[in-house]
Amino acid sequence: MRFPWIRRQDIPDHVRAYEAGPWPDPGSYWREVHYVVLDVETSGLDARHDVLLAVGLVEIEHARVQLARRWYSLIRPPEGLLVGATSIRVHGLLRAELADAPPVDAVLPELLEHLAHRVLVVHVARIDVGFLNQALDLSYGVRLRGPILDTARLAMTLHQNAQLLGEASPDLPAPAIQLRALATSFDLPVYAQHDALNDALTTAQLFLAQATRLERQGARTLRALLRAGGVQKR
Amino acid sequence: MDEIAAFLRSYPPFDQLPPAAVNLAAERAQIEYFAAGHDVLTYGGAPAEFLYIVRKGMVDFIREQDGEITIFDSLGPGEAFGHPSLIRKRAPIVTVRARTEVLAYLIPADVFHHLHREYPVFASYFAASALHRLEFAVRSRHEAAEPSLFQTYLRDLVMRPVVAIGPNASVGEAARMMRDQNVSCLLVDLPPYGIFNQQSGIITDRDLRNRVLATGLPASTPLREVMTAPVVALPGDALAFEAMLLMLERHIHHLPVTENGLVVGMVTHTDILRRQSNSPLYLPRQLERAQGLDQLRHYGDQVTAAVGALLDAGARVSDIGRVVAVAHDALLQRILRDAERELGPPPAPYAWLVLGSEGRYEQTLRTDQDNALVYADEHPADAPEYFRILAERVVEHLVACGFPRCTGNVMATNPQWRQSMAAWQATFARWIDTPDEEALLRSAIFFDYRQVYGSLDAEAGLRPIIARARGNSIFLTRLARAALRNPAPLTLFRNVALERRGDQRDLIDLKHRGTAMVVDLARIFALEAGRTETSTVARLRSAWPEASISETEAESLVSAFELLSQLRLRHQRAQIERGEAPTNLVVYPDLSPIEQRELKESLQAIARVQRGLATAYHTGRIA
Repeated sequence: MRFPWIRRQDIPDHVRAYEAGPWPDPGSYWREVHYVVLDVETSGLDARHDVLLAVGLVEIEHARVQLARRWYSLIRPPEGLLVGATSIRVHGLLRAELADAPPVDAVLPELLEHLAHRVLVVHVARIDVGFLNQALDLSYGVRLRGPILDTARLAMTLHQNAQLLGEASPDLPAPAIQLRALATSFDLPVYAQHDALNDALTTAQLFLAQATRLERQGARTLRALLRAGGVQKR
Repeated sequence: MDEIAAFLRSYPPFDQLPPAAVNLAAERAQIEYFAAGHDVLTYGGAPAEFLYIVRKGMVDFIREQDGEITIFDSLGPGEAFGHPSLIRKRAPIVTVRARTEVLAYLIPADVFHHLHREYPVFASYFAASALHRLEFAVRSRHEAAEPSLFQTYLRDLVMRPVVAIGPNASVGEAARMMRDQNVSCLLVDLPPYGIFNQQSGIITDRDLRNRVLATGLPASTPLREVMTAPVVALPGDALAFEAMLLMLERHIHHLPVTENGLVVGMVTHTDILRRQSNSPLYLPRQLERAQGLDQLRHYGDQVTAAVGALLDAGARVSDIGRVVAVAHDALLQRILRDAERELGPPPAPYAWLVLGSEGRYEQTLRTDQDNALVYADEHPADAPEYFRILAERVVEHLVACGFPRCTGNVMATNPQWRQSMAAWQATFARWIDTPDEEALLRSAIFFDYRQVYGSLDAEAGLRPIIARARGNSIFLTRLARAALRNPAPLTLFRNVALERRGDQRDLIDLKHRGTAMVVDLARIFALEAGRTETSTVARLRSAWPEASISETEAESLVSAFELLSQLRLRHQRAQIERGEAPTNLVVYPDLSPIEQRELKESLQAIARVQRGLATAYHTGRIA
């Protein structure tokens, strides 16, 4: 949904700065690339009707999760759209907390600052990316730029590789795609409280474990990772 | 983020830091994932920039020399590394390699240094060596206890200034002063009162009863004739526990407290008792009051209860051993005195010896009796028969008080272990000169003897024979070899080797594969050095200058012994409370992470000393 009356020259500077890049070179060694691992909480699963309620992210630099640069923000839903009681309980978010939260327009500039110049990593990208694009489109008429990696896709690739390498039986069913199940299959700690920040952290650890394993299979560059689990932007 | 803080908090030293400090570490942490075989730190490489804490997986400490790789330690979840390099800002002195895939929390240098500066517990934990960590573990266990006997200084128990009187005053005057001042004890001293020296004495209400009234002395008797002088005192910064031990060992009820040479007050038996409900100080009173043996039937249980209370109060096992020795000795002395009264005076001087753990002051919970009897070489013909009956009676009475017979029949009732001094000397000498298997086994029990009762000086007769072991390299070598047959249970990767018994898995025997190994090592070092101490800790601390062990290793064994003993004692006490028979077997995975780590480090300390001993005696590789 575009708003034709928003003209290109109305785009604020911070959005231009985000769009200008530069983005990480796909030829770089994956450990030297900067990533931002993100998770969202929403009022439902349909980006066309539902809205973002919270964003949480952690950054990865030098192949290490940098907890000091974590970021989390609640987002006040638009007037009238203050969500139905059924969906609002999903993440334990309270109506009162949301009512005091900054609106999406106030959250997006800081979010874009975190996303700029970094590879975006999400688990099951379709949902998170869909909601982010929807919000960016509504506010500025722009979409996400830069490379995106999906840990669910990386999991599928690792599974296929294991079968090819004979490490897993060909009849072994595809791995559960659920974040917690995947983290557990790597014997990783799962951060219990189900919110955007903890899920982003769980995703970040999963990503490091996956990339470390892929590197042993020869995938040293960002390009190789994107081939194994990149998201095609439409 | 809460999970990271919670994880850190469940391991030392973070478990001793305030929540704000742990949260700081968690919030500033970084998380890294290492492939198996990856070198996290490299020997001689870049200095560590972080404190690494293993979250999942294992890392090995390795040394590579001439292409040969030695793994000399490995760490699992909750364990930290990198601090020596971080503290000294120097290249790592070991290579740390991921054995499995490893997830680690990394605490940045600035946060580490901040915590190091602000929190002494943190700093001492990360003092460079494992030895310091073991010592720290012992100390913090000691300090974590309730503020009782171990945190109360005597000066804090002093409630009022001391009441003093001159030695030429009469007992009548003293009695009136005690009544008027409402005290049970006076300091007897020359003015200016309070300077503590050899002439300082005390007079107690009990002295007025026992030494004056009961002996018919008049009220005009001068105090200097009935007072106790010189008197035992303790400084104000002594712990209440030390006062308790002293009162128990000396059978006294009043202790002057001194500061800078001045008596600042008096601490009584009651002041200490008030600190603890199940105090061992009640035990002597039990013995005094008991009319007959049937009233002492629960004496063993009472000692056990007192041990539990001491354990809760954070006592060291070595301190508990001393308390138990005093309590058991007092019972034995009472039983022997009663028996002599019934059988008539002994026909010749004799000594009653306790052996093994009791001899080493290391008995905690009740075990079998281990005892022996020595009588003088000059004795009338009927003496052996008298001592046979005496031994029968004493052993029987000990059984009645809850101390079962020794299953190996190491008791004075066994004629083999009830002999004249000359026969004992010959036996000891034979064990040293012909160290066969039986001799080695016996010497381990009998050389740890301690005399509890009797007028014969057993020490003067027996210790010189034991001292011959010092120069006897055949005996010492065989003893060392026997000790090394039981190596510290560690795997190739220096983890705890567990055993399986029947359908029970993952077991470790804290006695035979733990404390007993230290006891055997300490005995060898004491014999090597010709030391006469019997307790394991005292042996290690006194023998090292003249034995095949360094001071550092001796201290690490002392810490290991304390930790293993504590673990065993806590485990056995829990079993007794659940109504089970105490065993030495614990299920390793049931131990807390801290206990697992302490156990591992203790066994590693033992293994180090065993390797040194094997080298010293050329016994080759230990199994």
